[in-house]
Amino acid sequence: MDVLNGLLHGFSVALQPANLFWCFVGCFLGTVVGILPGLGPAATIALLLPLTFKMDPAGGIIMLAGIYYGAKYGGSTTSILLNIPGESSSVVTCIDGHAMAKNGRAGPALGIAAIASFIAGSVGILLLTLMAPPVAAFALQFSSPEYFALMCLGLALVVLLSGPSLIKGLLSLLLGLWLTSIGTDLFSAQARFIFGQSELLGGMDFVVVAIGVFAIAEVLASIDAGDKARMLPVPKGLRNLLPSWEELKACRFAFINGSLTGFVIGILPGAGAAISSFIAYGIEKAFSKHPEKFGQGVPEGVAAPEGANNADSGGALVPLLTLGIPGGGTTAIMLSALVLWGVRPGPLLMTESPDVFWGLVASMYIGNVVLLILNLPLVPLFAQILRTPVHILFPIILGISLVGAYGVSGRLFDVALLVGFGLLGYIMVKLRYPTAPLILGFVLGDAMERALRQSLTMSQGDLTILVRGWISATMLICAVLILLLPLMGRFNKARVQAIAEGG
Amino acid sequence: MLRWLPGRGTRRVSRDIWRNGDVLSAAVLVALGVYIATEAGNWVYYSDDGPGPAFFPVWYGIAMVVLSLVLLVTTVVRLRQGGEQAAAEAPDWEGIRRALITWAAFAVCALLMKWLGFMIAFAMLAFFIITYVFRQPPVMAGVAAVATALGFYLVFPLALSVALPTGVFGF
Amino acid sequence: MIGSWTPGLAALALVIAAVPAQAQQFKPTRTIEFVVHGGPGSGNDVFARQLSTIIDQEKLSPVRVQVVNKPGGGSTSASNYMASKKNDPHVIACFTNIWLIDPLVQQAAVNRLQDMSPIARLVVEPALVVVLADSPYKTLGQFIDAAKASPGKLRWSGGSIMSRENTVRQLLMQKTGARWQFISFPSGGERLAALLGGHVEMMIVDPSEAGEQIRAGKFRAIAQVSARRLPGFPDIPTIQEAGFDIPDVPQMRGVVGAAGMSDATVAFYEDMFLKASQTPLWKKFVEESQLDGEFVRAKDLKPFLNSFEATLRDILKDAGVKVVR
Repeated sequence: MDVLNGLLHGFSVALQPANLFWCFVGCFLGTVVGILPGLGPAATIALLLPLTFKMDPAGGIIMLAGIYYGAKYGGSTTSILLNIPGESSSVVTCIDGHAMAKNGRAGPALGIAAIASFIAGSVGILLLTLMAPPVAAFALQFSSPEYFALMCLGLALVVLLSGPSLIKGLLSLLLGLWLTSIGTDLFSAQARFIFGQSELLGGMDFVVVAIGVFAIAEVLASIDAGDKARMLPVPKGLRNLLPSWEELKACRFAFINGSLTGFVIGILPGAGAAISSFIAYGIEKAFSKHPEKFGQGVPEGVAAPEGANNADSGGALVPLLTLGIPGGGTTAIMLSALVLWGVRPGPLLMTESPDVFWGLVASMYIGNVVLLILNLPLVPLFAQILRTPVHILFPIILGISLVGAYGVSGRLFDVALLVGFGLLGYIMVKLRYPTAPLILGFVLGDAMERALRQSLTMSQGDLTILVRGWISATMLICAVLILLLPLMGRFNKARVQAIAEGG
Repeated sequence: MLRWLPGRGTRRVSRDIWRNGDVLSAAVLVALGVYIATEAGNWVYYSDDGPGPAFFPVWYGIAMVVLSLVLLVTTVVRLRQGGEQAAAEAPDWEGIRRALITWAAFAVCALLMKWLGFMIAFAMLAFFIITYVFRQPPVMAGVAAVATALGFYLVFPLALSVALPTGVFGF
Repeated sequence: MIGSWTPGLAALALVIAAVPAQAQQFKPTRTIEFVVHGGPGSGNDVFARQLSTIIDQEKLSPVRVQVVNKPGGGSTSASNYMASKKNDPHVIACFTNIWLIDPLVQQAAVNRLQDMSPIARLVVEPALVVVLADSPYKTLGQFIDAAKASPGKLRWSGGSIMSRENTVRQLLMQKTGARWQFISFPSGGERLAALLGGHVEMMIVDPSEAGEQIRAGKFRAIAQVSARRLPGFPDIPTIQEAGFDIPDVPQMRGVVGAAGMSDATVAFYEDMFLKASQTPLWKKFVEESQLDGEFVRAKDLKPFLNSFEATLRDILKDAGVKVVR
């Protein structure tokens, strides 16, 4: 079946009233789950799984996929409004999204997030439709050295996330690397840095660290600054609640960047949406005409990561549907759902179960439109949340953070960690250590260590394995360039200054 | 070079140096880096099966020591050059006290949750923040605290069946 | 609704009446917590949810059986939770090999499986040794000969060092003197991708996962890790049949209760799961996932766990893992 016929067939499946309904239900649930921290798409799908046994597989997978990509739409909401990253993929959105909210541009930030999600989500599906098999073959070329190079590229972004002091950014990054290695080592079962706590054997959850370092620290810092009984500015009028034409125009490149970066990283089973959003943000800043404004609330800083984490959903379905390889927790449970329905996911799915494959693909086009229609009217509504007086809003932020941390695995231990990371984040803010690199190190450190050790095990200690392939070599060169450029810039500046002073 | 040497008030400057956040945090990070590297020293660095659990931590531990030493030294040198300037940025201790008390209340709330459950512990936290930090009237604070706690109950356990910590009272 | 419930309850009453009279009958009075050590969507989670759905649909329990996820630290979060629920007859958990292994290798993991109340072993999961379809190795013997010829050059992808993949490798390497590398990947997807991309030469994988790749002509099975040949793969020899006399390493799943359960309580749960394992729904699930559904009762389970723990301890020691208990 060629692509066009397949897609037409898919739409005939997806447009059946029952499947349209399931698509809507999935998107709606996904949005809700994404907005509320403590509820993840994987947990929601697991809860609903028994209910779907009696459903038709096409309808079932359409609904579950709706939850999966819908959650990424909703994830940005709490990031922008309250600086609480609801999902790991929306951490980067906090940086410029919450800054926009503090500037009174919460509505536009939410609008841009929705629009970027729609554009990139649709591009991701388009790419999934057109080139799934060849792209999947490309993904398989990625071995451990390539993953190591990708993580190095990601870590090099610390230069762009550091703010005025690169050295403090690097220290923050190293702290993140250390925190992520707490727990049981996969390769040797060695318990590392657990201080005798069996709760730490499994390591710390990303969401707990991120909420503590971002949301709690932000609340404490605002209270410190004496923002008494103040409200965040929310200008009146619809015009100020939706993005302006200038803001959308500023995001042109971000939409494309987010779409492509998200899709390409999404197809790699060993990466993840959080990594793609970081890299898209880094690319956006590196190529920006005004990189110094990033972090103070630029719309591109919202559009790039939000786009990337939505295009990532389309990418992640490529290996799942064409090869039967799940890329992460949520796609893994979708795979087991398919098995339970009697559909065999694997290389033959596309030809043997065209209803499921093409029905799902077509439903995702529809789902993205549904999500846009569902989310845009909510923007003005959500922006009103910031009208809540600060003395009510702050306890609510703390409460949502507590629920989010507890929701990770239902342990009070995670709540205690949240309290600790809140203090750490506050101290870092006070001492002007940037917190984003810590999160970057935490996200990438584990994968980087693994990839390095896998590579060296494969090559029996031969380091040249890291640069033997053209993909890894290219990425490593890029990483080195990113690291060196600002140093050279600084060196030049210093030289110019020295000459001026000396002259 | 001579102007780098401390002139008057050497003692005050050296005391100020230890009060400086960068110096203190850099010293803490040196210690952390040493801890990481020595702790990792107890584990296997390299075996027949490839790099061991110590392989990665040893290197980022050393990097942490080196970088924080650089930060320490540059800051001390900078402070000695312009000790007076640094002292001028006195922190707002009143604000810090407020933030730390809020944090302590948050910590106590998390601790009490084990016995009192989410609802009561959170209502107490909200009441404390609204009255103490934001100086709002207690009646209004009480109403707001109970209302938000109930709101959480409605949204999470009731509407979404997300479990919240429960205490001895069963909620 | 009431109408549809009544026959179920009546049947249940009959069932309870039919059980030989015991000193005290146990009857759950509130929701049963079914603890799982994996997050939502993990193999264990899906397994437990399948069971609880069957118990619900066939009305095998008077109360609801609710799956509770306690992920983290292998099995330690879940076993810590079980320890905190000592003497509570309404808390059971789904265990796998890792529940035996964690206390053996982690100082901080203090709760042994045998100290809880083992109820039943439900399934044993076989596995297949697979290579790429265009690989030169047609049998396990050929792979091992090649590994002997160039020690450390060939690679095998798998999970953690405590996983069955590595255990089987260690046993084979000891038996034959060959040596090849083991590359750990945290997720099953990455392990599959590593073999599909040709970055490793071989892997051990669930038959349900491998079956599709074999059908699509991507993989070839060269041996099975199972006590007897699977119905779906009658032509593939087990490792022992292929001429490698190593002990069988079963990957099991079963149910355990919180410590301090009375015999009557254990008997109640044993009976409930025995009935569940005889339903057509369960049989279909077992068949589709190509599991070995032999039911082992509580009285046989405890001695089995003790001897299996001893076997695992030896294997792990030989594998170079530091054993602390």
